[in-house]
Amino acid sequence: MIGYYDWAGGREAMLRFGPEDGPVVVLAPPLFEEANRTRAFTVALLRALASHGVASMLPDLPGTGESLKPLEEISATDWVEAFASITLSRPCHVAALRGGCLIGGNVPALSRWFFAPVSGEAVVRDLTRARQAADRETGTSFDAAEIDREGAPIELAGNAIPRALLRALRATEADMAPPCRVVRLEGDPASADHYVPGAPLWRRAEAGNDPALAQTLAADLAGWVRRCGN
Amino acid sequence: MIPEQKPEIDATVRAVLCDVLGLSAERAAAFDASTPLFGALPELDSMAVAGVLTELEDRLGIVIEDDEVDGDMLETFGALTNFVTAKAIM
Repeated sequence: MIGYYDWAGGREAMLRFGPEDGPVVVLAPPLFEEANRTRAFTVALLRALASHGVASMLPDLPGTGESLKPLEEISATDWVEAFASITLSRPCHVAALRGGCLIGGNVPALSRWFFAPVSGEAVVRDLTRARQAADRETGTSFDAAEIDREGAPIELAGNAIPRALLRALRATEADMAPPCRVVRLEGDPASADHYVPGAPLWRRAEAGNDPALAQTLAADLAGWVRRCGN
Repeated sequence: MIPEQKPEIDATVRAVLCDVLGLSAERAAAFDASTPLFGALPELDSMAVAGVLTELEDRLGIVIEDDEVDGDMLETFGALTNFVTAKAIM
């Protein structure tokens, strides 16, 4: 179901899944191009979560998705404030994927559940690398130090991103203070509470979906939410 | 001399190419040292290059500097495995 939420900076769209009552999960999607690549997967995950009797909300962050605000005008604080406006309005659990953990991890919630969390530094490094690889093909070169200079938003992997947003993200780590459950893919050497088989869909240009992984993660998230309670 | 970790590194590079590019395991298993990558695999666009490098770093515990990334290291499967093997055993 399509809904919306209001925050200090305006009104943004969100999708809602699952029952009217019971526990609620608010999910922070991955950032930038990874959000597009994992959209179908994220929706499959939340539909599967609904089948476990857990409701969820998938907000568009300001400047992303259906947002009327251009990304060029967005700050990292906007994202956290907008997301917090939802989690503060009712008791809820936060789930976050990849770079979404940098937003969803830093707001009040009953509990946190992270899948494949990534540091802000790694998010910016990936974007910078993609730009450098693209520039090599055209014979130009991009200097990552540009991020630290003042100037217009920088075109990275299809988005014009404000430099202040890149700098703020780069300095952000996901807050994994308990109660927090971290799930990662098998083969990821970083520490986690649980590892699941699957491939990193967010890396693929033709991402498609992985219904089996969505089911596995939904079952894990539903179990975690029930253990943490309301 | 072939370092003893070479087969493991070789397998990791194949797994990363499968995962990032969405290649079948059969297709990646058929890669040999002379199989061309960058420019030959349509799946290997600039975002995918970033993904391959980052996944290799994470899974092998290596760091690849920006100025080390060039067309040569990504030209063939052999060039890429040789590059990361040299990094991994340093």
